[in-house]
Amino acid sequence: MSELDMAQYLGVFLDEAEEQLQLLDEAIVKLEQTPDDLDLLNTIFRAAHTLKGSSASMGFNRVATLTHRMENILELLRQGKIPVSREIIDILLASLDRLRLIKDSIAAGNGEEGEVEDIVTRLENVLAGGEGAVGREDLPGGELLVLDDVEQNVIRAAQVKGFQPYEIRVQLEEGCQMKGARAYLVFNNLKDAGEIIKSIPHTQELEAEKFDDTFTLLFVSREDADTLANIIKSISEIKNVTIRPLILEDEHEAGAGIPAGTTGQDLTAARAGGAGGGAGETRITQTVRVDVQRLENLMNLVGELVIDRTRLAEVGNGLKSRLGNEELLETLEEVSLHIGRITSDLQEEIMKARMFPIDQVFNRFPRMVRDLARKAGKEIDFIIEGRETELDRTVIEEIGDPLIHLLRNAIDHGIEEPAARLKAGKSRHGTVRLRAFHQENQIVITVEDDGAGMDPEKIKARAVARGLLSHEAAARLGPREALDLIFLPGFSMTDKVTDVSGRGVGMDIVRSHLEKINGTIDIRTTPGRGTCFTIKLPLTLAINRSLLVQVGGRVYAFPLANVVEIISITPPEVQHVHRQQVVVVRGRVLPLIYLGQALGLHVTAPAEENYAVVIVGLAEKQFGFIVDNLIGEQEIVIKSLGNFIGKIPGIAGATIMGDGSVALILDVRSLVDNLGVAEGRELAS
Amino acid sequence: MVTETAAEIQLVVFQLGDETYGVDIYHVQEIIRMQSITQIPRTPAFIEGVINLRGRIIPVIDLHKRFGLPRVEHTNNTRIMVVELGKVTVGMIVDSVSEVLRLPASSIEPPPPMISGIDVAYLKGVGKWNDQLIILLDLERVLRESEQRQLEQEIAAGVDAK
Repeated sequence: MSELDMAQYLGVFLDEAEEQLQLLDEAIVKLEQTPDDLDLLNTIFRAAHTLKGSSASMGFNRVATLTHRMENILELLRQGKIPVSREIIDILLASLDRLRLIKDSIAAGNGEEGEVEDIVTRLENVLAGGEGAVGREDLPGGELLVLDDVEQNVIRAAQVKGFQPYEIRVQLEEGCQMKGARAYLVFNNLKDAGEIIKSIPHTQELEAEKFDDTFTLLFVSREDADTLANIIKSISEIKNVTIRPLILEDEHEAGAGIPAGTTGQDLTAARAGGAGGGAGETRITQTVRVDVQRLENLMNLVGELVIDRTRLAEVGNGLKSRLGNEELLETLEEVSLHIGRITSDLQEEIMKARMFPIDQVFNRFPRMVRDLARKAGKEIDFIIEGRETELDRTVIEEIGDPLIHLLRNAIDHGIEEPAARLKAGKSRHGTVRLRAFHQENQIVITVEDDGAGMDPEKIKARAVARGLLSHEAAARLGPREALDLIFLPGFSMTDKVTDVSGRGVGMDIVRSHLEKINGTIDIRTTPGRGTCFTIKLPLTLAINRSLLVQVGGRVYAFPLANVVEIISITPPEVQHVHRQQVVVVRGRVLPLIYLGQALGLHVTAPAEENYAVVIVGLAEKQFGFIVDNLIGEQEIVIKSLGNFIGKIPGIAGATIMGDGSVALILDVRSLVDNLGVAEGRELAS
Repeated sequence: MVTETAAEIQLVVFQLGDETYGVDIYHVQEIIRMQSITQIPRTPAFIEGVINLRGRIIPVIDLHKRFGLPRVEHTNNTRIMVVELGKVTVGMIVDSVSEVLRLPASSIEPPPPMISGIDVAYLKGVGKWNDQLIILLDLERVLRESEQRQLEQEIAAGVDAK
């Protein structure tokens, strides 16, 4: 391969390697729980095989060597010659870690750094021990067909893709008049079920009817033997059909000694396996890898179309009111409507193209949970539900870290040690459940454990001990507000700084991460029974439902996710606490701020009989913002203000309105943080 | 920057107050009429706000305010000159845009120590054209360095004051 080719394929290789490593990681962890799952073993085997093939073809010999040794062990597991044990899982996982290190080093442009000898030795020890202890079994069944190397490789390639090789003997009825035609029909009917690799006698001889009444086919198929037999028997003048699965001699023996995957055929096998294996064995969809930036650009372009669609409609309306009903105008209206519809469809399709199943994030957790649980000496059943739930790429990127934090917390603080659990009358195994699902226009993710739960009083005590608030303030907090304390920066339940948690950077980071993507987080906990964190996220970040309001003659947009309700109040309802304006809504005292003032504009609230107040919620806190006018709800496309202006407190970005003007989108969190005083006062009041 | 190495440079010439200025045409993306600008709270005064340029949000600065020149009313000739520098695209409000000139590189001299009001640091040099002096703006300086720094300071100060 020339330099250029290498560079071109390297990206593909790395992507593929990452995919396979991820797949292996997940599957091997799963294997530990279900050691008898042959399908799973096959999946693992295929992934390792794919990796071996592609790394060998790229000349990454260490990866190839290591995966080859893994494959040998997997083969033994697959044949049941050695049992799945914790030690083997450990070694396999350690091998994966090493592979990932090497892969990262390749990705960083450092070539194949990192030794593999030690791991290879460990693998070989297992191999030697396993084989020695159990002994070799004889392979059942002899071979009628003699296969050359090429044919064997083709079959292996097919096996990787999930095809099963069969030897099919077809016997025609004696005195059959058109033997050639019958044979042709057999070929033809089987075509849809798989692929004929070889026939004895050769096809030409069959066509020329140069055979007695029996011919043998080497056939690969995803169908089972019965189905194939039925296909053939549907042809008339067939006397007998025998079908038996073909068993190739042991692959690792055949390939022993030579570096794996270096032959051309093996390479095709690996590549083909990559396409099938990566997508999972059941659902194979045709896919194209697209540069993410291209999707972003498409989304932006559609965003502009959406705006122009609205403008077009407005122009049409304007013309109509000026010119009345004219034929041309009607056509314009029609076209504008049509464009509107198509734009909506286009927008939806592109949104979908940017969606990924959340499994992209979830799939690395089983391994993580397993490792953490082992380290913490806890026994944990980890359950994942709703892997297929799709959400926007941008959201996916941001959601990983918060979830890791929550899972770590669940393992470290939530689930008790086995002894403690037994004492509390629970099962030894704790359960951590990660769930994702759609609810209305939102994605909901829950992280739930059946551990010790959280005690509001203990949290208060911790917060006071950590100097986060005073005794008096703590005493005034209700149970819900106490739970909210865990989101304070610097809060931690443990003094012991472990690898896992206790560094006091935790829930505050989780919350700020989530707020960055317009998400919210909620806690439910019962002491002794467990804790459930519920995260709610928007489907996409690019398009947002907003409440448009007017202040000082300008339009601003509140993300609807933050808006709790809109109320109208009269001036006498505005009260003062510590010189801070407040309003009482259903018994709850909310700070009240004029939006213009919160934004630092030099405008004052107009004296009116009624104030429109937008009540926004941030976690458990609520604030009321007085605005001049309410305009309404609208879908808006968020655009950044750019590097030149940078981050402005209180402003999340800008959007373009139907009339082409620019409206600013409010960042409620920083808007409220800027009020600082009000928040502190509310906490203390 | 590319054109600078050539024997002559092409300038977009514009008016600001009583002076004639020029910027390298290489950086000028387009020149548009004055339009409604959305103000952004808590930004320095010279940042007029943002506009919608065919779906892009572009910040607009007022060069009068930037250079501390006396304020003038916007007229029919007022233009927004959209310049691009690296990844930053900014609209600059100027009193009028007159022409595009080719100046021999040799006719450009370093900026004199004093020029009416405007900080020499923002200047690249002075070009002569038919007895007329054209002040060459150093966009790099105007947009990137000091503005950025000042912007950050002013934002910080603005927040503290609240």
